[in-house]
Amino acid sequence: MFSQLRNISDWKDLIRNLVLRNLRIRYKGSTLGFFWTMISPLFMMVIYFVFITLLKIPIDLPQLLVGILVWQFFVMCLSDSVNAITGYPSLIKRTYSPKYVFPLSMVLANLVNFLLSLVVLVVFLFIYTIVTPSYHLVIGPGLLLLPLIVLLQTALILGLSNFFSCLNVYFKDIEHIMSIILLAWFFLSPIMYPLNLVREKTGAIGPWVFNLYIINPMASIVTCYRYAFLGIPVPFSPFFFLSLLLSPVILIAGTLIFLKKEPYFADEL
Amino acid sequence: MNVIQVKNLGKKFRLRHAKGQSLKATLIDRILHRETRDDFWALKNISFSIGEGETIGVIGPNGSGKTTLLSILARTMVPTIGSLEVRGQVSCLLELGAGFHPDLTGRENIFLNAAIMGIPRSVIEEKFDRIVEFSGLGQFIETPLRFYSSGMSVRLGFSVAVAADPEILLVDEVLSVGDEAFQKKSGERMREFKSRGKTIVVVSHDMNLIRNFCDQVIYLRAGEVVRQGTTDQVINRYIEDVQAQLIQGGAGLGVTHEWGSREVEIKSVTLTDGRGKPTANLRAGDDLNVTIDFFSKERIEYPVFGFAIHDADRVLCFGSNTQIGDYRIPSIEGWGRLRFRLASLPLLTGDYYLSLSIHSQDHLTNYHRQEYFYPFTVLSSFRGEGVFSIPVTWMMGEQEALNAKSRFDPKTSGED
Repeated sequence: MFSQLRNISDWKDLIRNLVLRNLRIRYKGSTLGFFWTMISPLFMMVIYFVFITLLKIPIDLPQLLVGILVWQFFVMCLSDSVNAITGYPSLIKRTYSPKYVFPLSMVLANLVNFLLSLVVLVVFLFIYTIVTPSYHLVIGPGLLLLPLIVLLQTALILGLSNFFSCLNVYFKDIEHIMSIILLAWFFLSPIMYPLNLVREKTGAIGPWVFNLYIINPMASIVTCYRYAFLGIPVPFSPFFFLSLLLSPVILIAGTLIFLKKEPYFADEL
Repeated sequence: MNVIQVKNLGKKFRLRHAKGQSLKATLIDRILHRETRDDFWALKNISFSIGEGETIGVIGPNGSGKTTLLSILARTMVPTIGSLEVRGQVSCLLELGAGFHPDLTGRENIFLNAAIMGIPRSVIEEKFDRIVEFSGLGQFIETPLRFYSSGMSVRLGFSVAVAADPEILLVDEVLSVGDEAFQKKSGERMREFKSRGKTIVVVSHDMNLIRNFCDQVIYLRAGEVVRQGTTDQVINRYIEDVQAQLIQGGAGLGVTHEWGSREVEIKSVTLTDGRGKPTANLRAGDDLNVTIDFFSKERIEYPVFGFAIHDADRVLCFGSNTQIGDYRIPSIEGWGRLRFRLASLPLLTGDYYLSLSIHSQDHLTNYHRQEYFYPFTVLSSFRGEGVFSIPVTWMMGEQEALNAKSRFDPKTSGED
């Protein structure tokens, strides 16, 4: 089934070119160009910092920022994914190149942006600990796990992107459903609130609610990032590890569906 | 050796009311087991083989499956049934500059487009200067594509596509784009490919191009091969079919236009050849007789009848009217018939369109005009470029014109 992927190395030039194209065109024509990739997350962090400090909102800023950056990577890819195939009808119909390069290069371009924003995050956290004496940044061994966590999230995103880019070829409604799915997913993941809050609030109903909650792969991934950057412990529950395992499963399933339908894209566009 | 081998190939499409059905509609259809999709065979039972170094033309009316066939050969579509074997690297001029991005410069687009076609970066780097030179873009190569004219983009696309130096080249109507100079340049490039023994498959409506360029022709209609064989045979068959359809009142150019105040109306028009046989299929040198039956609701003094002949590119070839011809018609009323003869047509092979008009002497009132209304086709043994054939005799040095008799002789060809 994956035999279509065997010649992927023949197309690494194309993948690299498409990634570069995606990166270039985003800020094409602007004076600062590619620097916006760093400037926009920086400004976002500063604005959150200013307002949360001024309004004295009882929220843990570093946790919030980690959550938001991780979520942005996810949401950018998924909203781009619906057009990853349908957005390029002439390429799909007229050129003999494997179609999986389109969602893949889109995810990789977003990954580059995400990694750069993580660099900005590290710098910001460093400055934040200096200006906020009450805050103690715990830099632990978790940071070594970061590449693995990024890989896990990229696997999840690529699997979902493959699935949704393919689905939108057949059902144009996906484009519109996507924003609704993403909004619900946002509140079902610990982005604006810490994971602990979920355990506390649902404890009265029963532990199964939390177990169900953590099955969401984005919940476990965000938790892992918070562990890596901030040293916040992860819940040692089998459901948590099951949730982490879900990402590679989704990658394989999404890619399989995509490859199965790929030869017929040209017929539908 | 055959480089392309197609056996009993068929391609089925699913017709829907709108492509990309909504989820709800699909779910309802699935649950109720409703069959809403109609199957449509774009290609049926196609078999042929192409030898190495052959140039094959694919002709047929619009919607006959030509582009689908080319897409399958290019492996962008998979056949529903049948088998396809292609040996060698294929480059496809299906849609020039597919994948060009308006925000990227010419240079960036060259690398992107080459990557899409699977040309290694090293090859493109090596040939970069030649690509730029061939495209004639010069310093514009560092300008974003959005500032290019459409001709410039096409030139760039063609330049990249031929740089691939493929073994098999698939061409879909691209030679008719760009300005004249570039058309000539790309035509030369195609001939060079041919002379170097590359295999070429061309889809075109341009019979002159097919005739000059191809060894073999496949004629498709409604997804089936009507005829395949040597170029002249197949083209003649195609032209006959087209004419047969046109006589039945086909659509022609799609620019057919009829208007006027209609005090006089053209009621029927017959085209006949020199022998008086009704036809829209003429030979060069033959006479074209036109008979117009009209009805005038009121008495009209000094009406002017006119005609014009345009070619398939809507270039005016010839036109005249009774006023220019000093043929004075004092008045018309009720039914009438006007005939005119165009003696020994000197036109080249191609599709032509006859327009007719009846208007007032001062040209202020148009009673009835039929633009591009009557298509006809001319077959000429005379080859050349342009619209008309003029007998030519070649003479080297002081040599006498030994063979002064031209291949085109209006007096004899009109009779046979």
